[in-house]
Amino acid sequence: MSPLVHPITLLFASIFTSNILLANFLGMCSFISISKDQKSSFGLGLAVTVVMTITMVVSWAVLKLVIEPLGLDYLSFIIFIIVIAAIVQILEMVIDRVSPALYMALGIFLPLITVNCAILGAILFMQIRNYNFWQTLSFGFGSGAGWWLAIMLLSSIRKKIDAAPVPAGLKGPGITIITIGFMAMAFIGFSGMLSVQ
Amino acid sequence: MNPLLLGPLVVALISSILALIISITDRIVNDYGEVTIDINGGKKVLTVKGGSPLLGTLAFQNIFVPSACGGRGSCGACKVQVLSDVGPHLPTELPYMNPEEVARNVRLSCQVKVKQNIAIELPEALFNVRKFKTTVERLRNVTYDIKEVYLRLSDEAIAAGGISFTPGQYAQLVVPPYGDLKESIQRAYSMSSTPQDKEHIELLVRLVPGGIATTWVHQYLKEGDTVEVVGPFGEFGVRDTDAVMVFVAGGSGMAPFKSMLNHMAQTGQWTNREIWYFFGARSKRDMFYLDEMADLATRFPNFHFVPALSEPKPEDEWNGPVGLITNVLDSYFKEKISKDKPMEGYLCGSPGMIDACVKVMTANGIGQDKIYFDKFA
Amino acid sequence: MKMNFDERSAYEKMKSGVLTSTGFLGHDTRPLTDIIEADEELFKALGLDFDQVADRLQELAARGAEGLGEPITVDGLYLVKSDEARGRLPCPYGDGLYHKNSVSVERGDDRIIYSDLSLHLLRVHHFCQGQGSPFRLDPVVLKRICF
Repeated sequence: MSPLVHPITLLFASIFTSNILLANFLGMCSFISISKDQKSSFGLGLAVTVVMTITMVVSWAVLKLVIEPLGLDYLSFIIFIIVIAAIVQILEMVIDRVSPALYMALGIFLPLITVNCAILGAILFMQIRNYNFWQTLSFGFGSGAGWWLAIMLLSSIRKKIDAAPVPAGLKGPGITIITIGFMAMAFIGFSGMLSVQ
Repeated sequence: MNPLLLGPLVVALISSILALIISITDRIVNDYGEVTIDINGGKKVLTVKGGSPLLGTLAFQNIFVPSACGGRGSCGACKVQVLSDVGPHLPTELPYMNPEEVARNVRLSCQVKVKQNIAIELPEALFNVRKFKTTVERLRNVTYDIKEVYLRLSDEAIAAGGISFTPGQYAQLVVPPYGDLKESIQRAYSMSSTPQDKEHIELLVRLVPGGIATTWVHQYLKEGDTVEVVGPFGEFGVRDTDAVMVFVAGGSGMAPFKSMLNHMAQTGQWTNREIWYFFGARSKRDMFYLDEMADLATRFPNFHFVPALSEPKPEDEWNGPVGLITNVLDSYFKEKISKDKPMEGYLCGSPGMIDACVKVMTANGIGQDKIYFDKFA
Repeated sequence: MKMNFDERSAYEKMKSGVLTSTGFLGHDTRPLTDIIEADEELFKALGLDFDQVADRLQELAARGAEGLGEPITVDGLYLVKSDEARGRLPCPYGDGLYHKNSVSVERGDDRIIYSDLSLHLLRVHHFCQGQGSPFRLDPVVLKRICF
């Protein structure tokens, strides 16, 4: 049965309490790489949110209409990945048409959204917790927005850090990971306020 | 249904449906339809299929913007001024632009896709540029590292009028994939043939260590091979005045001057002007065309050929001027060339040689605006 | 070690036949970062500084350019020949276009060949080129030649 959590609650919960990046540590690699540039971070965050929302809804539909009725749970991973890959491919083509500059700036990270574990992770959460349609929609959008929020926060912090005297050994990835750790601890402060299921 | 069958069937079905959706999206998103390219304020308007880079789209319409790397964004030669708004400069274009070019919306035509009607500015001379299919008629080593490449235009090119250019211009040689080279590139060489010879193009190619094109010409190209050439390009040429002309070149820099001097011999143009040609080399083995130049000097009393060797070997038995070409030039200015007539300088060679010669020329009374050069840059 | 996107595209451009006939890697099969790190360590061990060496080589090139393509003797120690060809080469890292010059410096038995692009790669990217490249600026040879 679907949990009794209201979609709006779920929206805020997935952005703050159970931030997919800072609480669940999913979607790290592009998070660390792209956050060094604010404009690209904005673009990627937007792309991830869009992909997350669309794939969540489509995956939910496939789950309810195909996988569960036909008892193909063991194939759910494969099917979800195929859906994600296709949607990312379509998004790439649309971005290239609408904004070639953004397409160039995101470079390899656009197709890398496909293997961004945050996307598959969120879908699997949806499957495990057995969300209904509205919950899926708000969880999907919320997870994406949470990822977006986190990357915008990190890129702003990194901008400030660039001007600070960081010890040579910690420059770049080192100080970034430490920062992410602090951010995660800060977000723990939200825990208990809202529930995801 | 048997799960062994059901599983793969469902996965295949889902994949096919998604592939179909991708295909449809691709057709919608990448179909730009027909667009127009307006060149030089309506001088020429092309209707083309949209979606491809400007460079290739123009080439398809037989307008050849110069390119050395074949459109891969690594040479910066294909600059075109775009008058319409095609979006901000891409990160692949910026390394090749200076701030003034960015402000004027000068773009790399290999990076800008033609997605809607656009207006561009092209130099007039580009309309005369054609792509010629040629065959190698003759290859001759004029020195140990310079090859004379004599190409014959294809029959259709000759029937269409052959090549028309002014002496001093250069052409782009298309180097096809060979050895380790996987995609074709183009390199520029001054034409040493004359415009009178409409059916041929001659180039002087000097072997550069590690050079992609020169290695191909010297080690792979054979007589009878077909070669594509794009041209003519360039603004180097004789100015129509009565001034004394001072030519300075070295090595393969001889090419444009050979074209100019032979043109003079064939048409009688410029024979009333005094011409001094300073050709510098290290030793006798770097010298060439000595007989041809001596012959021209005998036939045309106004033409003076001054070959100079900077480090002649004893076995060269050299009786001519010795020293760096800039020094020889300077001494001739002071002793042999009369100052009562206006002078023009024509230079072909490396930026270093050109800068040095410009200094000597300006010190000897030739204004900077009267010095013309074909910089190897 | 895995290369990130920019390094990978630079590495691809350094292969033979892409920008130059022989490429910048010689027959070195190591990944780009390994080549650079190994040379950086050699530099440190020999007490060399990249900017210093690049400056010295640039100075030698400028003095050699006075020969206008012919070899000239500089400081009584070096035989420098500075040549140029038409056109420009882009840096494999995509951050500039450089004249196609070729400076060959000989001192005793050592000989190195470099260009404006080589100096840029040395100074900014700490790249001396792979083992076996005819244009490699080996740190040991550099130390002998420059100082």
